[in-house]
Order: sequence, then structure tokens, then C-alpha cells
Amino acid sequence: MPSLRSIRSRIKSVKNTRQITKAMEMVASAKMKKAQKRVLDARPYAEKIRELLHRIATLEKAWPNPYFEVRPVETIGIVLVSTDRGLCGPINSNLIRTLSRFMKERPDVKFEFVTIGRKGRDFVRRAGLPLTGVIQGVKDKGGIAEILPASQVVVQEFAEKRNWQEVWVFYTQFVSIMTQKPQFEKLLPIDPQSLAGHAIAGATGDYLYEPDRRDILDVLIPRYFETIIFHRVLENFASEYSARMMAMKNATANAKEVIYGLTLTYNKLRQANITKEISEISSGAEAINQG
Amino acid sequence: MGFILSLMTQEQHLFTEEVDFLQAKGVDGEFGVLKGHAPFLTLLDVGEFLIRKGSIDLSYFVAGGVIEVLPDRVTVLADTIERAEEIDGTRAEEARKNAFEALKQPITEESRITFQQVLKREGVRLKILERRRHHSPVPFGEE
Repeated sequence: MPSLRSIRSRIKSVKNTRQITKAMEMVASAKMKKAQKRVLDARPYAEKIRELLHRIATLEKAWPNPYFEVRPVETIGIVLVSTDRGLCGPINSNLIRTLSRFMKERPDVKFEFVTIGRKGRDFVRRAGLPLTGVIQGVKDKGGIAEILPASQVVVQEFAEKRNWQEVWVFYTQFVSIMTQKPQFEKLLPIDPQSLAGHAIAGATGDYLYEPDRRDILDVLIPRYFETIIFHRVLENFASEYSARMMAMKNATANAKEVIYGLTLTYNKLRQANITKEISEISSGAEAINQG
Repeated sequence: MGFILSLMTQEQHLFTEEVDFLQAKGVDGEFGVLKGHAPFLTLLDVGEFLIRKGSIDLSYFVAGGVIEVLPDRVTVLADTIERAEEIDGTRAEEARKNAFEALKQPITEESRITFQQVLKREGVRLKILERRRHHSPVPFGEE
């Protein structure tokens, strides 16, 4: 039987934990709203650049551009977007599971990684897979400059050294506060089909270009996949915060239950102790009376 | 009668408004846009954007990116956009000085280019500030 005092101190510590999880829940919910807003803020640019790229790419079919070129796949580069911190439910482990399945389905292909976020890096290290680039400590308020090193690695490995024949992004999609889905998509080579459906309404014919259509394409293409990576990172933040919010909500509810149970045990024990003491006193008195 | 102008960066959408006139700086020089301009696509240089809406003049610092001009619509996909009011003069001055000093040292070709770009950017920022001292436009498009 635990002592009264030990139960009391446990109740106190669980209460403290509840306070912390409650606070973390509220912080996560505020941050999630901001992250969602940032995803929305970045959307018009992404749509516009898709539209432009589609238009120019279809006009420029004859030109062999490395970013559109489909090559036989030996090595796939993976941009793995995960969270820096834990306590955010199962989103990272779900993502890693999806990634492992993806890799198992392609047994003849080598994989190399660029990780954004500490959890993904930890996984790649533990699995002993080649790590080409690491970004950590991206701030949720940070600008696109923070993820540019990742896109530089992609340019280098895919277009300049031609080590990678495909590049995929893995991240956690924000569906709703309750649901976050591990997701992946092919970043490069750019599939002209995926750009379709973004044709410009009301504009026909070609543009005047200054300086040259290809120069403009050279600027647009890196911006295009930078924007996608940036978008995925923002979305991952929204997922992280909503997952953390839910995890902390559950933890708070659990703490409440534990406190309830402990308080019950505490009161029962206290009552038992009082009863015991009374019976001791009364039986003591009885003994004196009889004596 | 004007055209619809949208200003955006990878991080945010600044505004979409009807304006009368836009003066921008492309890599091949400055140009003005009025309603009915021929479809036109160019890369942006580091420079000042002047926007006129009615009697209001607006000034923006813009660096890098692409501008798409259509007869009734102009979309700017810039790497950096700052409202003239937001430019930090002391910081720009300092950055320019640092770059200037760095260029005097023997450095690699690569970093020389970087510092020259800094010099150019901050120079443009300061010029915009200088011009603003003479007449300050009222901002719009703020929600």
C-alpha cells in the first residue's frame, strides 16, 4: 500500500504535467494557424509559376532541357521533409514507413538523401543511407532562403553532375487538424503533364521575350522547384503543429484521468486510515474501561 | 482605366490591384506599362518599381524574378519586394560600406561578384530612399 504522502506528490506531479501539455497544446494551435496562413500566402506564386512554365515549356518543346529529360533511373534523390522536434504524434514514423515502402518497391535503385528536419536525418543516419545534404533548425517564420541550400544540392546532383535521374519529395500533407497524411511526389524531371490544367485563361499567342525564352526558362525552373520544396516545408509545419496539438490534447485528457484515479485512491486510503485510527482509539478506550 | 497588377514573392502575395501605370526595370532596361501593352515576359533586375494609381504614386524596391505583362494584367514574380517605406537606410548604408571595404581586399572572383551585387542592391535601396525624401507617396493595397 503506498503511503498517503507518496500519492499526494504523484498527484502534484501529474498536475504539473497537465499544465505543461495544456500550454503546449495552446502554443501548437496558435502556431498551426500561422503556418496554415503561410501556406495560403505562398500559393498564388506557386500557381502562377506553374502556369508560366507550362506555357513556355509547351512552346519550347524542341529544346532538350535537362529538367524535362527522362533518363533511365539508377539513383533517386530524395528530399525528406520532417520535423526537428518530437512530441508530435506519429507523423514522422508514418512518413518513414511510407518512405521505406517506396524504397522496397524499387530494389534496383540507389537512394541518396537531402533532409530538412532532424528526425529525417536521424532515420537516414541510422539506416546507413547516403546523406548528401542536411538542413536543420528551419524556422516556421523563416523565409525561402532557409531551404535554398536543399534546392542547390538538387540542381548540382540532378542537372550538373547528373548523379540523380529523379528527385522526389517526401513530406506530411496537412489534410485537417485531425488528419495528416504522409505524402510524396516527383519533383524532377518535370512532367509537362503535371503542369497542364494551369493554362492561362484569356491569353493566346506568344509573348515578346527579353532577353530570350531560354534565359527566362533558366530562371523559372529553379524557382519552380524551390517553390514546391518551400511549400512542402510550410505544409509540414502545419502538420507538425496540428499533430502536436492533438497529441498534447490527448496527453492533457490522460493526465486528467490519472489525476481522477489517484485522487480516488488517495481519498479511499485516507478514509481507511481514519477508520483504522478511530477503531484503534475506541478499542484502546474499551480496554481502559474494562481494566 | 488601368490594368490589374499583382505583386508576389515566393513567400507572400503582396497585393492585386487595379493601377494606371507601372515603371519597372528589366535586365534589358527600364520600361513603362500602360493598359493594352503587348504580351511580354522579361527578367527583373535590381531596381525601383514606380506604380501610379489615380493621383497616388508608389515606390517599391524589387530584386530579381520575372514579370509577365498581358494587355489587361501584369504579374510580378519577384525574389525580393520591399515597400519604399520599409527600407532600412542605416542597414543599407552599413551593408554597402562593408561590401565596399571587402572589395578592396584581395578576394576570390566568386565573392567579388557577390559583393558587387550587394553594392548594387544597397545602392538602389539608398537611391529610392533619397528620392522619397523629396516626395512621399501614400501607400495603398493594405488590408
